[in-house]
Amino acid sequence: MSDNLRDSYQVTNPRPLTNFFHAVWAVVWKDISAELRSRELISAMFVFSLLVILIFNFALELDARARENVTAGVIWVTFAFAGTLGLNRSMSMEKDRGCLDGLLLAPVDRSAIYFGKAIGNLIFMFLVEIIVLPIYTVLYNVNLFVPGLIITIILGSLGYVAVGTLLSTMAIQARTRDILLPILLFPLVIPVLLAAVKASSGFLQGVSYDEISPWLNILIVYDVIFTAIAYMVFDYVVEE
Amino acid sequence: MLFFIYLQQAPAETTKYMIAGYAVIFMIIFLYLVSMYIRFRNMKRAYKMFMDLDTDTE
Amino acid sequence: MIPKPRLLIGLDFVTAFLFVVAVVMVFFYAPLEAVMGQVQRVFYFHVSTAWVGMLGFLVAAIAGIVYLTKGEEKWDIVGVAAIEISLVFFFVAIISGSIWARPIWNTWWTWDPRLTTAAIVELIYAAYMMLRQGIEDPDRRARFGAVYAILGFLSVPLTFISIRLLRTIHPVVVGGGNPTAAGGFDMSSKMLQTFFFSLFAFSVLFIDLLWHRIRLGTLAHKVEQLRMKDID
Repeated sequence: MSDNLRDSYQVTNPRPLTNFFHAVWAVVWKDISAELRSRELISAMFVFSLLVILIFNFALELDARARENVTAGVIWVTFAFAGTLGLNRSMSMEKDRGCLDGLLLAPVDRSAIYFGKAIGNLIFMFLVEIIVLPIYTVLYNVNLFVPGLIITIILGSLGYVAVGTLLSTMAIQARTRDILLPILLFPLVIPVLLAAVKASSGFLQGVSYDEISPWLNILIVYDVIFTAIAYMVFDYVVEE
Repeated sequence: MLFFIYLQQAPAETTKYMIAGYAVIFMIIFLYLVSMYIRFRNMKRAYKMFMDLDTDTE
Repeated sequence: MIPKPRLLIGLDFVTAFLFVVAVVMVFFYAPLEAVMGQVQRVFYFHVSTAWVGMLGFLVAAIAGIVYLTKGEEKWDIVGVAAIEISLVFFFVAIISGSIWARPIWNTWWTWDPRLTTAAIVELIYAAYMMLRQGIEDPDRRARFGAVYAILGFLSVPLTFISIRLLRTIHPVVVGGGNPTAAGGFDMSSKMLQTFFFSLFAFSVLFIDLLWHRIRLGTLAHKVEQLRMKDID
């Protein structure tokens, strides 16, 4: 009896913060384990990225001199497109299998779902980036393993996923969901893409840090503002 | 220097572009007003239709 | 059906009057600009329409915040009304600016921060319209619209800053990216009067149009409710 009481006490009055992190982690882990089983998301994003890089090769005549200038642009366009693919898929999976409704019924803060999905998307995006970078390095003989570039990629992906997760949650609930996400997302992430491309190409060309830092600042400001806003409005996006 | 004196005496002849600019401004605003008027009329008609439908059924 | 309020009828007349006066001032009161000639007259309505555009987007973002906190439908109607009007006026501003730029900068378009940001803003709010069209449930449509209006409005300053940074680091390619450098001019007092009067006239026009559009939105909302009721 007393055990029972204590249990119910713990259920109704758990330590809120730990509970929040548990919930976030549960959502992240759910996505990862589903992906480990099917591997469809990562493989689709990866093959798609390779195709984009190949198409750029033909479209832009990536000779040695051109590569210097356009590498940053090519990799960010690739990440942006592959990212859209991943975001759309990860959310429509929830919707189609009715998982989203299940998640919403769970007695956790809604923002835990947002952060869980966002972290999951971020992990997938990082995975694709980790695979694509060495391949690009090998194919085009450009060394992409510059510490500054890695930081730029982390900051850029963060901002991209923060907005992308929120917007994909909206897009999958619309009738035109397959085409809607890029239309909603791209105009809003232009600051991210622009700053990320500029910072990346700065690091690759060995420009002094003073010239790169404004771009990194824009990325940081964008990440902070849009993560905060997405956290605040996510409730309204999943309300039934 | 001569160039600037020339410019000050005779402003560039750009009347065509001015007319084109204002033609576009007035045209688009006018088209928007027309579209708003038409939508209003259609909405009123639909509203009336539904109201008539309601009174018929009651 | 609420009859047209008397205040609105009055406002219609005032707006029409102000608009006509603004047109007369632009064509007959404002002096001919010494360098650019007649095309400079486009400037008055160009800036005014751009001003109405930005004003509407601000109104929509505020309406979005109020809608999310209060959940009253009328704020959604205000938001969509403001964005629709702003889309039209911002489009006018972009086109008229482009026509002005042709003789002055020798090109229809340059990738200058203001122009590029204007194009992106137009795309953001076009996306807003597409988002709304894709959702049938009125409540959800209103919530998503409010969220997107807020996000869009917040991203505009960041976009502008980042493009400005890009252009100041980069060399300017065509026709001088900075409008104050190429095609700038000092306004005489008559020009200033015309300019501020145009801004004022367009602000009143915006309020008048917004009112009409809100009335249209309210009516459409009622019709939608009646339709739902009839289906049930």
